[in-house]
Amino acid sequence: MHITSSYLLSITTFFYLGAAAIYLIYWIFRLDKVGILATVTTIAGFCIETAGILLRWKESYELGYGHAPLSNLYESLIFFSWVTILVYLVLEFKTKNKVIGAFATPFACLAMAYASFSPNVQDSIQPLIPALQSNWLLAHVITCFLGYASFAVACGFGIMYLIRGNSKGDGLLGALPSRKVLDELMHQTIIFGFLWLTVGIITGAVWANQAWGTYWSWDPKETWSLITWFIYATALHARFVRGWAGKKIAYLSIIGFISVVFTYFGVNFLLSGLHSYGSS
Amino acid sequence: MKSKKANSQSNIILNFFSSVKLAITLFILLAITSIIGTVLPQGETLQFYLENFGPTWFKIIKSLQLYDTYHSWWYLSLLGLFSINLIVCTIRRLPYTIRLYNKDSLQLSKDDLLRRPLKKQWKVKNDDNTAVPKIISIFSSIRGKLRTKHDVDGGELRLIEKGRWNYWGVYMIHVSILVIFAGAVFGSFTGFKGRIMLLEGETTNQAMKMAPNGNIKKIPLPFSIKCNKFRVEFYPNGAPKLFQSDLTIIKNGKEVKKKSIVVNDPLTYEGITFYQSSYQSLPSVKVKIISPDGKQRLLQISAFDKAIWPETGMVIGLIKYIPNVHGSPAARIYIGDPSGNGDALWLLKNHWKEYRIGDKVFRLDMVEGGEKYMTGLQVKKDPGVWIVWLGCTLLILGFGVVFWVGHERYWLWIGRNNNGLQVILAGQTNKNRVSFEKHFRKIEQEIQDSLGET
Ligand code: HEM
Repeated sequence: MHITSSYLLSITTFFYLGAAAIYLIYWIFRLDKVGILATVTTIAGFCIETAGILLRWKESYELGYGHAPLSNLYESLIFFSWVTILVYLVLEFKTKNKVIGAFATPFACLAMAYASFSPNVQDSIQPLIPALQSNWLLAHVITCFLGYASFAVACGFGIMYLIRGNSKGDGLLGALPSRKVLDELMHQTIIFGFLWLTVGIITGAVWANQAWGTYWSWDPKETWSLITWFIYATALHARFVRGWAGKKIAYLSIIGFISVVFTYFGVNFLLSGLHSYGSS
Repeated sequence: MKSKKANSQSNIILNFFSSVKLAITLFILLAITSIIGTVLPQGETLQFYLENFGPTWFKIIKSLQLYDTYHSWWYLSLLGLFSINLIVCTIRRLPYTIRLYNKDSLQLSKDDLLRRPLKKQWKVKNDDNTAVPKIISIFSSIRGKLRTKHDVDGGELRLIEKGRWNYWGVYMIHVSILVIFAGAVFGSFTGFKGRIMLLEGETTNQAMKMAPNGNIKKIPLPFSIKCNKFRVEFYPNGAPKLFQSDLTIIKNGKEVKKKSIVVNDPLTYEGITFYQSSYQSLPSVKVKIISPDGKQRLLQISAFDKAIWPETGMVIGLIKYIPNVHGSPAARIYIGDPSGNGDALWLLKNHWKEYRIGDKVFRLDMVEGGEKYMTGLQVKKDPGVWIVWLGCTLLILGFGVVFWVGHERYWLWIGRNNNGLQVILAGQTNKNRVSFEKHFRKIEQEIQDSLGET
């Protein structure tokens, strides 16, 4: 049988779905073996996805187009889930807490499922139109999506923070990291994401300046990424206002991610009547 | 008394302008109001808004300049207030940060150490002089600059410190935002933006700019630009693959620069940059005319254009071009004489046709017919762009410092008295507390283990 990248990438969806379910089971029963299984499933899915992305890259050369698989909605969704898993795995390794997985892997799984099964998303490999023929495409997409993926994970932390409450002990909620730790993790991930979103906006500006001679033209997509940026700037500075730490930042990290999703989909699908970028 | 009151009043104002609360308010206001311009079409004529939104909304749109939200008086005021906020906040915090930066972390007492958030104290009753070197070697393994001070409350104080300049990271970030604003403002006052449409073979020394009222403004260029050739290519699936213009810059009659530009690769000369932005294909024909006295002339005419034969005063223009009529191209031509009389006639390729003015007979033939391209160039001069890039670089570097470098300090105090050895380990950081605490506990455990053996 001939293995295609689409095939590998749709399998990945099921691995991430499985991983999300196993992390959930781990959270409920807290059996070490289940936890290891969850991590192994995630890593396996990640490897298959990596292979899928590389294979797609190769396929684009075979078609004579020859470009990195980062050029349309389908490919960027795949990349989003890839980075989300990467950021999560690093965090799991650093914090040694697997319960976080129950809140992070669903984002990757949803992105994969949407990319693979939505009729709105074309999964064929397309050639690059002149505006996209730039080395900045790679830098721009990679940095933006590092930001988006970090924000997805930060949103997971925000949700954990809010449902955790002040509960102690061995219950379901008690298994989550403490509020202090969650607050710190949330802040770190938001700064990390904010850094990459900033670099993403800047690389986008450099690119636009090279292609059209304007580094900022208040295009809906640009403007929404700026709105997202303001929301996370609020979250970063909220710590310096008395009484704003914790809960409010958790809400902001959720609102911020909603804004990320809107920047990504909403602008393409809802505001398409305006001069948005060519539909991805 | 009076001056004190004035003082406190100005303090209230300063506090307001430097507060993080104001910054957050502005972030939220900017985020919310920025949505307007992404939902409401921007840059249309006033008539458009009146027709589509009715008189009530029209009034609001007009007075709040919502047709150009991001350049409206209130949006720019928000950005201005934001800059003032940033400037006042930065200046006010400066002395505090300098003090923090210059503070000697060795100027501490033993009790100060015990007040740190992270600390551990050991008392060793019967030490045999092997414990101290072990502890010191464990402590020295921490990365950072080690300094020692003797005679601190009867003991020795050691400090390992790193990343003290982390305090400047936030300044780099905040200042960079101001630098970017400054670059944008500077560029908008000293630069310009315009468009040029150039037919293949054509030369111009001015760009066009559409003013908000719909008028076209001409911007003179200090040199001429010629489009030698335009090329467009498509992929097999019909998507565009390449737009390319071969351009030449001509200054004082001399060719000074030549370049083929494509969408992501513009041409810059004397600070003015030309970007490939669009194209049109126009029909264009070559017509040969022979006058009654036998003179010949080859004239090239394109749509929307006319050609003159100066010696005879004849004017011809292209009305319509059809690539294929019974296997050959056909063109409908306007032809006019010097007295302003004119006529239209059809020409087929390689078929001579006669045209009479009075008793004079002109003979015409279309010798070539085809499409000609007109390239659309965006022209820009923006001397502020380098300031913007400088600000962006500073912004990214600032993030690097804020994110990767924390001001981390570890203290170790060792003292001896009649009861034996006393050891205090303390630590403090301003970034990434969780992982710092982890490392601190590790060092603490190592010291604990080494003491356990004695
Ligand atoms: C778009 C503009 C701004 C950006 C990108 C920005 C970014 C940042 C970042 C990344 C931090 C570090 C956060 C941390 O370490 O946890 C920070 C801290 C801070 N910002 Fe801003 N900021 C902006 C505007 C402002 C404004 C307008 C004010 C005005 C009051 C302000 C006041 C502060 C203060 C007081 C801190 C804390 C500094 C410290 O840690 O000592 N910022 N900012």
